[in-house]
Amino acid sequence: MTSSMAFLSSTPTKLPSFSPSSKTHFPINPFLSLKPQRYHFASVRAAEIGSGAAVVVEEKKDSEVKAAEEGNGAPVAAEVEEVGVKFEDPKWVSGTWDLKQFQKDGATDWDAVIDAEVKRRKWLEDNPESSNNDFPVVFDTSIIPWWAWMKRFHLPEAELLNGRAAMVGFFMAYFVDSLTGVGLVDQMGNFFCKTLLFVAVAGVLLIRKNEDIDTLKKLIDETTFYDKQWQATWQDEKKE
Amino acid sequence: MASITLKSFIGLRRQSSPENHHPTITPPTHLHRRRLITLAGKSSPKLSGRNLRVAVIGGGPAGGAAAETLAKGGIETILIERKMDNAKPCGGAIPLCMVGEFDLPLDIIDRRVTKMKMISPSNVAVDIGRTLKPHEYIGMVRREVLDAYLRERAAGAGASIVNGLFVKMDKPIDKYAPYVVHYNEYDGKAGTVGKKVTIEVDAIIGADGANSRVAKQIDAGDYEYAIAFQERIKIPDDKMQYYENLAEMYVGDDVSPDFYGWVFPKCDHVAVGTGTVTHKPDIKKFQLATRLRARDKIQGGKIIRVEAHPIPEHPRPRRLSNRVALVGDAAGYVTKCSGEGIYFAAKSGRMCAEAIVAGSENGTRMVDEADLRNYLREWDKTYWPTYKVLDILQKVFYRSNPAREAFVEMCADEYVQKMTFDSYLYKTVVPGNPLDDLKLAVNTIGSLVRANALRNEMAKI
Repeated sequence: MTSSMAFLSSTPTKLPSFSPSSKTHFPINPFLSLKPQRYHFASVRAAEIGSGAAVVVEEKKDSEVKAAEEGNGAPVAAEVEEVGVKFEDPKWVSGTWDLKQFQKDGATDWDAVIDAEVKRRKWLEDNPESSNNDFPVVFDTSIIPWWAWMKRFHLPEAELLNGRAAMVGFFMAYFVDSLTGVGLVDQMGNFFCKTLLFVAVAGVLLIRKNEDIDTLKKLIDETTFYDKQWQATWQDEKKE
Repeated sequence: MASITLKSFIGLRRQSSPENHHPTITPPTHLHRRRLITLAGKSSPKLSGRNLRVAVIGGGPAGGAAAETLAKGGIETILIERKMDNAKPCGGAIPLCMVGEFDLPLDIIDRRVTKMKMISPSNVAVDIGRTLKPHEYIGMVRREVLDAYLRERAAGAGASIVNGLFVKMDKPIDKYAPYVVHYNEYDGKAGTVGKKVTIEVDAIIGADGANSRVAKQIDAGDYEYAIAFQERIKIPDDKMQYYENLAEMYVGDDVSPDFYGWVFPKCDHVAVGTGTVTHKPDIKKFQLATRLRARDKIQGGKIIRVEAHPIPEHPRPRRLSNRVALVGDAAGYVTKCSGEGIYFAAKSGRMCAEAIVAGSENGTRMVDEADLRNYLREWDKTYWPTYKVLDILQKVFYRSNPAREAFVEMCADEYVQKMTFDSYLYKTVVPGNPLDDLKLAVNTIGSLVRANALRNEMAKI
């Protein structure tokens, strides 16, 4: 019972609007791939309770589940000093990712580095940590080479967009040809067709989701909003 | 991504008819006459037997600077301040150029900050300040000390400083008639209602801050504002050593959705605070998060004071009306991104006063609206680029956690540090080397793309 209270003592009731997964440190989330690492954290955490007793939590799978079940109902007893769980990972050394531990077939597995950083950021978003001068974070995403980013993020999206463009292009070429009898090569020489082509390409690039239309409108308003606020006082002068 | 709701801006300025705030209805011919006179007031009458009288409402940096410049220009000045020993809640940072431009004595400055640390949502910490020259620094001042000094200097130049609370003003009954200012004179006695006094002045400078009464009187309209919440914490000496000449900025959704959290060193304690425009009810939560992020460095500290104040986000729709002009926070001259206001308050006070001195030819002629508009014109021309650039920076880099990560990554670059500090310390937007600018643009886009890509992956977990 005490050990589960220890888990609960770190429940930050002062921060109610954080996502539920941060209320207890053991969310019952089957999709959470961080679970394997949690046991590791549990073994190094000591929760300080306001009453003075420090409890070192053991690495036990069943006590975790018990805490999670009770975490939803049991209130926190005393005013506690929030000792957050620190992010820890064997590959995270001296405030950066140790690339030597990411070797695969002699070369660095950049995808794994990206995955590790994603997990770290997700963890920190849910469990903000104090910044410490003795353990500074010096990781810079630019150490991951540009082609690793391209391969992982740009290429799939590019494939998608090019596919869309090709489908739209083929259909439009066919449609215009059937209406006007102008073949594809002759279409390219026509100004109106070239304009249509430009619009189609721009549309495919800018509007990738339905929400993008609203987003674009808002962005356009945003760029000139501040200017309007500054010009407001001059409207007076013109009126008079 | 933080959705930015744009209120309809037209609605910010209330449509008002002259009858609402003035007992005498201004005749239609009055407006007609004014339209014809849009040049400098060379046609305004010479004052006989007296100098121009101007009332400055509010004795902060804006009021003090304005009063001093007016008095030096030979104008009969009265400065009305409601609380002479007001210790205002404030970040307290002044740029280097302010020390030179306003001849501030160096003992006013409690600390010289020469290093800054930017800390991203994932606690990547970047030190900036390597590019500063030995004589460059950001000055940290106590507002009560600075404000009092500027007021004393104004008094020394010939302005009369009055301890009183501005109540209302009566608009002039015809073109060159005076304004009647009603105020309650306290004369140093706290807690009393004060003696009702009225004076006649020819022009009024509203320097009475974010909740300006003068602004209400001239129907200046409202602005959006941020709430800045700050706790002053006395930390142990060894921890204070770390903040000797270093200030910290924390960014992240936990600390603020649209601003930043800070730890600024003051004379013998630190100020830990945060701010927000869009999520004001959650400010305490953000403050807790800021304290959590700085916890290891402020451990064992005692909170000695808690304070909060509004920060205007943009100028009021109307900054000037006839012979009443707004300056400083009353006008809304606080930059975005950094939330800096002291320098701009003092500078706008000075500029407005300079326009009045010039338009009245050292107090010998009457002024009119066109002379005061010169101040607005000069102000907008000089500082618009600074404000716009900071607005763009805020829109791009304070949007979301990926943007903030990219922001901190960019700050590690020396060129960025040099440009940032140069423009902050000297208040000029200097176009740098175009090749470096291009490299910077490419790197910025790269950082943003990487951070957003990581964020999209995070959403999949």
